Amino acid sequence: MIWTIVGAAVVIGGALVLIYVNYYNKIQTLSNRIEEAWAQIDVQLQKRYDLLPNLVNTVKGYASHEKEIFEGIANARAGMVTGSRQARVEADNMVSQMMGRLFAVAEAYPDLKAQENFKLLQEQLEGMENKIAYARQFYNDTVLDFNNVVTTIPGVWFAGGRGKEDFLEIPDEARTAPKVEF
Amino acid sequence: MERRSFHDEQSRNKRDSILLAIVVSAVLFALIVSISYLFDPSSVAIMVPLGIMFTGIYTWSSYQYGDKVVLMSTNAQPAEGNKYIYLNDTVEGLAIAAGIPKPDVYVMPSMELNAYATGKDPENASIAVTQGLLDTLDRQELEGVIAHEISHIRNKDVQFMTLVAVLVGIAGILSHMILRSWRFGGKRRSDKNNGSIDVLILGIGFLLAIFAPILSRLVQMAVSRSREYLADASAAEMTRYPDGLADALEKLGKHNRGDMKVSESVSHMFISDPNKTALDALYSTHPPIEERVKRLREM
Repeated sequence: MIWTIVGAAVVIGGALVLIYVNYYNKIQTLSNRIEEAWAQIDVQLQKRYDLLPNLVNTVKGYASHEKEIFEGIANARAGMVTGSRQARVEADNMVSQMMGRLFAVAEAYPDLKAQENFKLLQEQLEGMENKIAYARQFYNDTVLDFNNVVTTIPGVWFAGGRGKEDFLEIPDEARTAPKVEF
Repeated sequence: MERRSFHDEQSRNKRDSILLAIVVSAVLFALIVSISYLFDPSSVAIMVPLGIMFTGIYTWSSYQYGDKVVLMSTNAQPAEGNKYIYLNDTVEGLAIAAGIPKPDVYVMPSMELNAYATGKDPENASIAVTQGLLDTLDRQELEGVIAHEISHIRNKDVQFMTLVAVLVGIAGILSHMILRSWRFGGKRRSDKNNGSIDVLILGIGFLLAIFAPILSRLVQMAVSRSREYLADASAAEMTRYPDGLADALEKLGKHNRGDMKVSESVSHMFISDPNKTALDALYSTHPPIEERVKRLREM
């Protein structure tokens, strides 16, 4: 009789340990994946940060009086590499808006628009904007996976007090997720 | 839920790939041994180890170099230089969205609108698009098509589809390549004294062409159409804009005449059927575009 109880306790204890290990690893993996996803955004932000002065200098040669835009870009650019993730992404969004105005200004200068270097910069910077948007999307998808595990039973029992991660929010995001069913 | 389902899809493709490799190796080995037995029963003792070696190398290299064979057979060139910055950026962006490394990008000179993905795993994959596709589609449509191909890579469809194309359909691919080079460039090479080698290679080309249709049919039977619907749905999820791919598919359906002249053994890999043949009426290799557009519009 006593051995039956001991045996049952060992089996149940072993099962609990296995479940714990499984969820611990799952939560760690997702947490690492969030960091990876952020690294993707970071790479793009850095590239954009490095490329922006080239664009500003090119345009300055033609439209030096657009000081307000240049200052706006410089201020927003500084925010791309300091502060919280949310703040950096918002700074990047600001840069995109200012860049939109810069390109609108460039419309008035056919010589500038025709310049190979300018066209290339414009294409590269816009490509990065797209990539940042997708990297942000992947980041948020990953955060959602993580939050789903740490806030639902049984994951919440094994989360060790780890709370939800924050999404990267962009106020005027035009894209909304469609409903997908398989 | 959708995340779960692409993991399911990955393990299904892995299982199918292994199963396919085993079946093809077994059939090939049985063929080698039984043919050698028919010619000379005493040769079986040598042919068994030789057969094992041959089928092993054949299967392994199909897995390892299958994507290169497919890219070569469709005349795909690497998309490099400033001309293709936009294409490379689009591919990189969607690869980031799917959480996979950026695939290599290739362009096919055809003016048809088409694309496919190939590779042995998500870390070693390639996407090829036609020049016509780049010239005709707008940004959102191109994103839709690229997202569809990226989904094939992430779901590991490319692993199975490439393996099927090369392992089963190699006869079709080879005969197609040989006969194509003969048609386009035969004259300038055969006036040298290696003319007899050309004749031999051409002979092999014709010989393989006899088996090609049977093997190509086997290829198409192995590939289920559900993969296309699944990749469409994943693409919509990835771009957050199902209408982009739907518009693109409508353009493909309207514009394409199906005269890309690629080997039938690889046609199942394309987003839209690259060859229109009389057989299509009986059994189509691709799900109808109208149905795919309808499903995307309903999302």
